[in-house]
Amino acid sequence: MSSTNSHLEGAEFWTGKTAGLAEPSTPASLAKSAEKSNKNNRAVIDAIPYFQDWREAAHRIKTFAIANLDKSLVEFERNITARGATVLFAKDSAEANRYVLEIAKENGVKSLVKSKTMVSEETALNHVLEDAGIRAVETDLGEYIVQLAHQRPMHIVTPAIHMSAADVGRLFAEELAEPFTEEHTALTAIARKHLRDEYLQAGMGISGCNFAVADSGTVVVVENEGNAGLSTATPPVHVVLVGIEKFVPRMADLPLFLNLLARSGTGQKLTTYTHFIHGPVEGKKLYVIILDNGRTNILKDPATWQSLHCIRCGACLNACPVYRRAGGWAYGWVYPGPIGSIITPHLIGFEKAGKLPFASSLCGACGEVCPVKIDIPHQLVHLRHRAVNEPSPMNSFTERLTWKTWAWFMSGPLRYRLAMFGVRLGVRLAKFLPWHPGKLGGWTRGRELPQVPGPAFRSWWKNRSNP
Amino acid sequence: MTSRDAILQRIRSEVAKGPRIEPPPVSEVWPRENPDTETMAARFEQEIEAIHGEFVRVRSMDEAAAKLAELAKASGWTSLAPMDRPICREAIADLPPAMLKWPKSNWPPTEMAELSASLVAAEALLADTGSCLIACPTAEDRLLCYLPPSCVVIAKTEQLREHLPAAWGDILPRCFEKTLPGEFVIVTGPSRTADIEKVLILGVHGPKRLVVLLVG
Repeated sequence: MSSTNSHLEGAEFWTGKTAGLAEPSTPASLAKSAEKSNKNNRAVIDAIPYFQDWREAAHRIKTFAIANLDKSLVEFERNITARGATVLFAKDSAEANRYVLEIAKENGVKSLVKSKTMVSEETALNHVLEDAGIRAVETDLGEYIVQLAHQRPMHIVTPAIHMSAADVGRLFAEELAEPFTEEHTALTAIARKHLRDEYLQAGMGISGCNFAVADSGTVVVVENEGNAGLSTATPPVHVVLVGIEKFVPRMADLPLFLNLLARSGTGQKLTTYTHFIHGPVEGKKLYVIILDNGRTNILKDPATWQSLHCIRCGACLNACPVYRRAGGWAYGWVYPGPIGSIITPHLIGFEKAGKLPFASSLCGACGEVCPVKIDIPHQLVHLRHRAVNEPSPMNSFTERLTWKTWAWFMSGPLRYRLAMFGVRLGVRLAKFLPWHPGKLGGWTRGRELPQVPGPAFRSWWKNRSNP
Repeated sequence: MTSRDAILQRIRSEVAKGPRIEPPPVSEVWPRENPDTETMAARFEQEIEAIHGEFVRVRSMDEAAAKLAELAKASGWTSLAPMDRPICREAIADLPPAMLKWPKSNWPPTEMAELSASLVAAEALLADTGSCLIACPTAEDRLLCYLPPSCVVIAKTEQLREHLPAAWGDILPRCFEKTLPGEFVIVTGPSRTADIEKVLILGVHGPKRLVVLLVG
């Protein structure tokens, strides 16, 4: 497992990152926005009679794509290189960041603009650039807001989903010395004004990639704001960061995927801008950095291959009751929500992220909305099984001891009665304690400890059958 | 071993264990209904207006030139840069020459950012989404789509397609050209964001205004 991933706090679901559990005011806009997106998404799906056929087709194409991934990478490299682009392969974050720094130095870059790339969140590129004295400015409005607030994205599609207009107004007043406003149009105009200069001065633009097409050698970027268009077309150098899961073999399949991504991501028929970048224009340079960073770990377990189908639409996040309550940071790493709970353990290891597959109610909503038909609930169950059998926090001494003890108490009537007596007594006494230890403390910080209702079932039954 | 070889090696050794999968058929996505031009024009108008774009229909290129001049005057544009295409050359006939800024190579983006408007030629219009497919082989062509605050797209009725899959047949062969530079971009309405509280705002970075001029 690559140790270069450890710069982020790791994926301890619970510990202090659960914005929503104890502070009900923070996630109000998160829950509202995510629910709005989810409703919108459901309405879009219900309105199209072909949607289930599309999901099925996309699933099959992605299965084919993964089975031919090695060929696709080589084919893509050959085709886009023939048009003058440079393709680089990075096995981990450190190597990808080193490539970006080398390109920046070679081209004398002092400042650069970034359109949204979750891969660069993964590699913590901004910190590396900052340390090297290169100014990196996020240009997606949501990313720009979280960058100014020194936060990480709360959501992969709408990064500032947790902030209200007033929060953004205060932030702009503080960081950009602009008069306070909570009017959406005015806030957007402030961002436009400040970012215009950044595009025009930048020596380099960095973007992600939604689909990398092998047979035509094309980088496909979808967006709504125009920031990806400006970030990739204005500066003299464009660097694309792309994970190996974004490769699709055939350009012929793009109409299907673009339809699905727009409808599931934002409820649009097509996103405002869909860029098909074939190669550099005259006088400019194009680099494509292809990143593994733990993705090939997923291939080692064929049962989890389908998690590489993900097109990062964010529909499963919006559909997930746990995500809506706990927020993106609770997942401790770059990719939150149900899909994050599946891929993060592979990317940074079960030792760090083994708890994530348990951060789900297994209600199945995520699997129902997934546009590429990833069976997320069963993937989660499979990973739970692995997490309790492989080195992970779910297979620690305490965890094993807890379950052994539980099993012992549950496997005899006398032991069971003894345990229940203990629980009833514990709960009655706990309300007199000024604070509660461990996980119980995390729970009771934000809510009342439930009280034991009435008599136990056993005594109730006994009294009922012997009136 | 280079990282390239190491990554490819890892993938190869793992996927070799899986089953061999035949290429699945290409999805039709939407059925082909082959509607007539007027049906497609009406649908295009309805869709582009739903996403806050503007639509102007003219019968001839002369009418298009007059309409563009009228639009420029009414909007108070002081400068307009057209793409260097035959259809754009015809459409700018009635504009005051002082207003026109023809693209030149290595045109500094700082200067382009001062433009009031751009005129770009579409390869195809997609009726069911209100989208314009634009080919941008040069840096200047690309920036004309994103930098000026207003963008006028011009196309003829024979370029209307019912939807993206129907237009794909024209576009796909060109994607395989070995010397194809730049990008194709599908523009669906003016630049927009809903990043703050999911409230829709137009013109965040790109054009605040998108006008489609349909000729024929």
